[in-house]
Amino acid sequence: MNYYEHTLIARQDISPAQIKQLQEKYSKIIENNEGSIVKFESWGLMHLSYLIKKNKKGNYLHFKIEGNGKTIKELENTEKLDKNLLRFLTVKVKKLDLETDYFKKNEEMPKK
Amino acid sequence: MKKKNIKKKNSQNNFSKLSVFQNQKYKFKKKCPLSGKGAPVVDYKNIKLLKRYISENGKILPSRITSVSQKKQRDLSLSIKRARNLALI
Repeated sequence: MNYYEHTLIARQDISPAQIKQLQEKYSKIIENNEGSIVKFESWGLMHLSYLIKKNKKGNYLHFKIEGNGKTIKELENTEKLDKNLLRFLTVKVKKLDLETDYFKKNEEMPKK
Repeated sequence: MKKKNIKKKNSQNNFSKLSVFQNQKYKFKKKCPLSGKGAPVVDYKNIKLLKRYISENGKILPSRITSVSQKKQRDLSLSIKRARNLALI
């Protein structure tokens, strides 16, 4: 089994309920294809540094996955057809980094 | 003449960022800041770290200015490109 980090960017004008639907939809796909989710992170609505399909902001979802090539293939094939998504990125890692969450700090900063 | 002035200003601004690494104190420091014990991990999610190694225009700074080792420079450029793809930088 391999470890992967998978990040999605969803459209800005999507409702929180729809984001949960997306999360459930893709976690189902992963689990149906010999994979399992180690950790899920929601980075929330963030500013994009450049326009993507006329979107200024994007909803970021981050999965840490244990699985094989088949899982990723199936996942990416369905994502290509999804109109709610702007981008996705899969990175294969040797070890999953479960402790540091780089984007939680960013959320706390504006509250202060 | 005016155009020339603007160009000069830009280069100065850029240089001011570059000179962060070439302070008078650290002018002869040749050690790599990313390798060795206790060094930060290069990762495409660690934007704060990556932003130190790009210019104002978003270009990757050469290692001869930042004195990053060859191996770490390869890691850096890969993770900067990943962060660009996700519109983080």
